[in-house]
Amino acid sequence: MNTKIKVKVSNLIKNFGDNKVLKGINMEVHDNEVVVVIGPSGSGKSTFLRNLNRLEAPTSGSIVIDDTDIADPKTDINKIRENIGMVFQHFNLFSNLSVSENIMLAPIELKKATKEEAAKQAKELLAQVGLESKYNATVQSLSGGQQQRVAIARALAMNPDVMLFDEPTSALDPEMVGDVLAVMKQLAKQGMTMIVVTHEMGFAKEVADRVVFVEDGNIQEQGTPDEIFNHPKDPRLQSFLDKVLNV
Amino acid sequence: MKYRLKSIMSGLVVLFSFFVAVSFSVTPANAETTYQVATDSTFPPFEFANSHNKYVGIDIDLLHAIAKDQGFKVNIKPTSFNAAVQSVQSGQMDGVIAGMSITKEREATFDFSKAYFMSGVVMAAKPNGKITSLNQLRGKRVAVKTGTSGAQYAQSMHKKYGFRIVTFDESNDMYQDVLTGNSAACFEDSPVMKYAIRQGTKLKIYTKPALSGPYGFAVKKGHNQKLLRMFNNGLADLKANGEYARITKHYLGAKGSSDTTSDRTFIGLLKQNKGALLSGFKQTVWLTIVAIFFATLFGVIVGLLGVVPSKFCNGISTTLIYIFRGLPLLVLALFIYTGIPSLTGQKIPAFLAGIITLMFNEGAYIAAFVKGGINAVDDGQMEAARSLGLPFGKAMRRVILPQGIRIMVPSFINQFIITLKDTSILSIIGIIELTQTGKIIIARNLEGFKVWTIVAIIYLIVITLLTWLSNWVQRRVRL
Ligand SMILES: Nc1ncnc2c1ncn2[C@@H]1O[C@H](COP(=O)(O)OP(=O)(O)O)[C@@H](O)[C@H]1O
Ligand SMILES: [Mg+2]
Repeated sequence: MNTKIKVKVSNLIKNFGDNKVLKGINMEVHDNEVVVVIGPSGSGKSTFLRNLNRLEAPTSGSIVIDDTDIADPKTDINKIRENIGMVFQHFNLFSNLSVSENIMLAPIELKKATKEEAAKQAKELLAQVGLESKYNATVQSLSGGQQQRVAIARALAMNPDVMLFDEPTSALDPEMVGDVLAVMKQLAKQGMTMIVVTHEMGFAKEVADRVVFVEDGNIQEQGTPDEIFNHPKDPRLQSFLDKVLNV
Repeated sequence: MKYRLKSIMSGLVVLFSFFVAVSFSVTPANAETTYQVATDSTFPPFEFANSHNKYVGIDIDLLHAIAKDQGFKVNIKPTSFNAAVQSVQSGQMDGVIAGMSITKEREATFDFSKAYFMSGVVMAAKPNGKITSLNQLRGKRVAVKTGTSGAQYAQSMHKKYGFRIVTFDESNDMYQDVLTGNSAACFEDSPVMKYAIRQGTKLKIYTKPALSGPYGFAVKKGHNQKLLRMFNNGLADLKANGEYARITKHYLGAKGSSDTTSDRTFIGLLKQNKGALLSGFKQTVWLTIVAIFFATLFGVIVGLLGVVPSKFCNGISTTLIYIFRGLPLLVLALFIYTGIPSLTGQKIPAFLAGIITLMFNEGAYIAAFVKGGINAVDDGQMEAARSLGLPFGKAMRRVILPQGIRIMVPSFINQFIITLKDTSILSIIGIIELTQTGKIIIARNLEGFKVWTIVAIIYLIVITLLTWLSNWVQRRVRL
């Protein structure tokens, strides 16, 4: 395993008013590592991910990405976000733009590419997620699985070196889950650093370098897929796995 | 809930039937001797409420004296001049005595008594003597009261002397306009002006009465001829026995006015008032266009202030919307037109005051739906844009606004139509737009129904055009 630390989270605390959601998370993610975060609903998984690109501002603690503390108000968060792709549960494709425009918007607006370069890149990314024929399609004409693959392509257009996935397949019909997971596996194989919140335990077993179990705003246990799925120690993890694996 | 609504409704029905029953039972009971006569609510010294809130004045005292002399009963009902005149025409009232000039035009719809008073139009201005004759009015504004001889006089003289005319519904507003310096002078019936000055109005009369004309008591043409005869007989008696002199002297005295034209068909009315209607129409359209422009600007800015990530800006937005949506348009217009000048000492042109009024009021509504439209865009859109590294402004412009505007378009079209209609309220500050033009024409020729029909049709035509235009623009920009 590569030893360079890409993301280092120290004692991250996040409160919404009186609601203490994250209670002191510590985590290191290495270059090219795939970390899968599991845990019951409401345990703070989304909040954790959203703190990593400052969609939520941490209450306290530090988040260092490539030597930059993003919790520091002086940090230009827009620059940091260009290097962190995010994929949402509900896709959030821009409904006023076509498929290709969705992918090209940020590179053009942020002067990362000319129109021609962005268009060429959009074609390549659509090919990568298996949707080259949808270049001119409207967002509304796509199925959920197709929308999510476009959303992944959109995030990749900024050439990020970390990708955050927040339950990317939870809103999909079962027959579409496979296509999205396939794209994600391919990304992992290419060496993308990924933090993935998911309930797809098959994906976690197959792709994850490390699995992190979050419950009640804390990391209760983490380890290799084998350690987490075959030899869970924490009783809460055991009961969580009982529930999700025996549906 | 349903039950409560039902009981409120039935309560209203009972109340309504009570009023209907009362009004039906009272009127016929005294019908043989009590005549219902309408008068103006404020036209001193002819009719006005005295300090005991009792109606007095030359008209009132004369009519009571004549009734006593001729042995009939009279019930005098004050209302606005226009309403008084129309209530006689519609047959709700038996006669009208309201300092009403006997004109050829009015004789087409009324039978008049013998003249009971001769009046005349005088010019009054501030007593500092800067304006002392008609010659000095060039380029200045002259205030008149809707439908008075003074207004007719101004109309006939404004070309020759080169002044502009501004009209008011109430004498008092007209005097105020001269006193604040908005207008250089006003034209008023001489007895009215003299009385007002005696009552403390700080104006001075500078001209001899012009356009002298008779005042008459009027009944609907062909109706209440007995009442008319009794009025004439009584008037002769009062003049003979000195009672007439006593009454006029009590309130002071003076001299009269007139007008012509007689084609009362729609076409005829349109022809006679073509010029006035066209300029009123232009004023309405111009007001609407300028107001829509500034209201949209104001509304979009205030609406955006309501969605930017700053508590301070959000607060400003909410407050502005609250204030300007909360104030009735009429109050806002009067506040800006008369209130601001008395605070700052700076007079403000009526048109400008009107535009400011509409900008704030319509703008507040626009701000509310701009804010609402933006908020209606799914939060996920903004988050996705920001997660790509787009700054707030770029995300707003490229992702949120295009979607928000699509939601707002129907509200915009609706608000533009409301703005057009709301310009009519600006007649209150003397802007002669379409509605005020209608009022002025009616005060002169008393053809309320026909003139309002014409005015209503003009409004509908403009609204239709505006709707088409909006739809065309909407298609053009592919929203
Ligand atoms: N924007 C917010 N404002 C207030 N409370 C929030 C917000 N976002 C999340 N929460 C609360 O934080 C807790 C954790 O939510 P979340 O991170 O979405 O959990 P998970 O993704 O693990 O299901 C929940 O109790 C939720 O109500
Ligand atoms: Mg979640």
